Amino acid sequence: MVEPLRIIDFGCSSPLRSQTLWHAIAYGVSASEKATLSFTRPGAPYVCLGYHRGIDEVDGDYCLDNGLPLLRRMVGGGPVYLDADQLFFQICLPARAVPASSRQALRVLLEPAVTAFRAVGVPAVLDDDLEICAGDSKICGHGAARIEDAVVVCGNLIERFDHERAAGVLAFDDRFQRDQTLALMRRFVSPTAIEPAVFRAAIISAYASALGLDPQAGWLSGPERRALTGLDERFMSDAWLAGPTRPATSKAGKPTARQVKVRAGVWTLGASYDGAHVAAGVVRGTIDQVRLQDRGLNGATDRAERALTGIPLQSVARVLDGFGDPGRRLAAAFAMADPARL
Amino acid sequence: MGEASLVVVGGFTLALDRHYHPETHMWVLETGPARVRIGMDAVGIETSGTLAQLSFFAEGTELAAGRPFGQLEAAKFVGPLISPVSGTLMTMNEEVASDPGLAERDPYGAGWLIEASTSETAAAPPLLTEPAEITAWFTARIAHYRLNGLIAQ
Repeated sequence: MVEPLRIIDFGCSSPLRSQTLWHAIAYGVSASEKATLSFTRPGAPYVCLGYHRGIDEVDGDYCLDNGLPLLRRMVGGGPVYLDADQLFFQICLPARAVPASSRQALRVLLEPAVTAFRAVGVPAVLDDDLEICAGDSKICGHGAARIEDAVVVCGNLIERFDHERAAGVLAFDDRFQRDQTLALMRRFVSPTAIEPAVFRAAIISAYASALGLDPQAGWLSGPERRALTGLDERFMSDAWLAGPTRPATSKAGKPTARQVKVRAGVWTLGASYDGAHVAAGVVRGTIDQVRLQDRGLNGATDRAERALTGIPLQSVARVLDGFGDPGRRLAAAFAMADPARL
Repeated sequence: MGEASLVVVGGFTLALDRHYHPETHMWVLETGPARVRIGMDAVGIETSGTLAQLSFFAEGTELAAGRPFGQLEAAKFVGPLISPVSGTLMTMNEEVASDPGLAERDPYGAGWLIEASTSETAAAPPLLTEPAEITAWFTARIAHYRLNGLIAQ
């Protein structure tokens, strides 16, 4: 007998419930509920932080001015802007049914989403960085977690994408870095203009087929509804929003760079070292655009920026060495980048 | 940790001066009476992917063997760090929490995760305690992960 895949479509939800509903499912599946594919669409825009990420990565004034609540989720990734133009799906399975390796689990649980995109005519692929892309563009955000004894992977169909707001909610000290982030979002994050009902049907079929399960409409169990009440309270609490326990200092008191990932391999940097400051966009290991500031560069700023544009990141120190002490200070600022951990 | 206790097995370092939990790749090193240091071995770290974030429960938290003492994040996947012992979380390694790469660079030394007081001996089952069984287990896990494409050939 084929096991069921419970399908729950929550329709349009409040920002809070667009998170807590599927977290409640994770606790249910962890306890004994069947594998579940759920859907929801936030009825109002908001900002959501990945489990480990700091509130200081979000521009609080921008969120306040635009009436955007801030929530924290249990899955990974950075701060993101969500609105009613994004249909979110969550696939949740007992942990025993998923490969123990997180990379393998992600691959297994993202492949059906790729199948669904392809079934509706989008040439999607799951790239080596485990991102769902069409051409150069990321077309589906995702995050994942093991929550007790369940594994959940979330993704979205981006019907329209408000790049301005997605960049606007992020905190930057540097206007150039904000502009670069927005420009790179426009280049590398794309919406998919397909009928959401068609995509929904395709993704149900894809997950049921890949997992060997029989899709059956369902709803929250009693224990899940009780878990939902607790999750609503938890997600609204200051303690939850503050995030997990973190060290009092970052990198043992050393200054750190501000890095923002646009998609895998595409990120921006803002970093200062000993009075020197760099802001840059990086595309697949190459400097895309850069702005430099150092009191000692004098009239050489434009020349240094031109020298860096288009070169591989690993050549930055060598090129800047030709600009003497200011160049070495700027190279030290660049060296604070750690894109592997974005 | 003496240099002599570090060996290389299948391209991965392994410290033989401590005990291991075979399912989670966590190591346990006695640092004093009823006190242990806990970390993750080199293969456990490799199969997790590049560590983006590490967080630990608050100091003073009661630990149960087989239950989480914190979380790790790699490739946007948040997963539990499973305690190999029962006891109390005494200290977290703030250096590794702010620089998770430390666990990759020095998994048996500066990349330790937490220290705990423990109510059971570190050698209690199901930890592996003997260098020969630890080496055999480590060798078998590397072969398994290579066969399944989780680590490079």
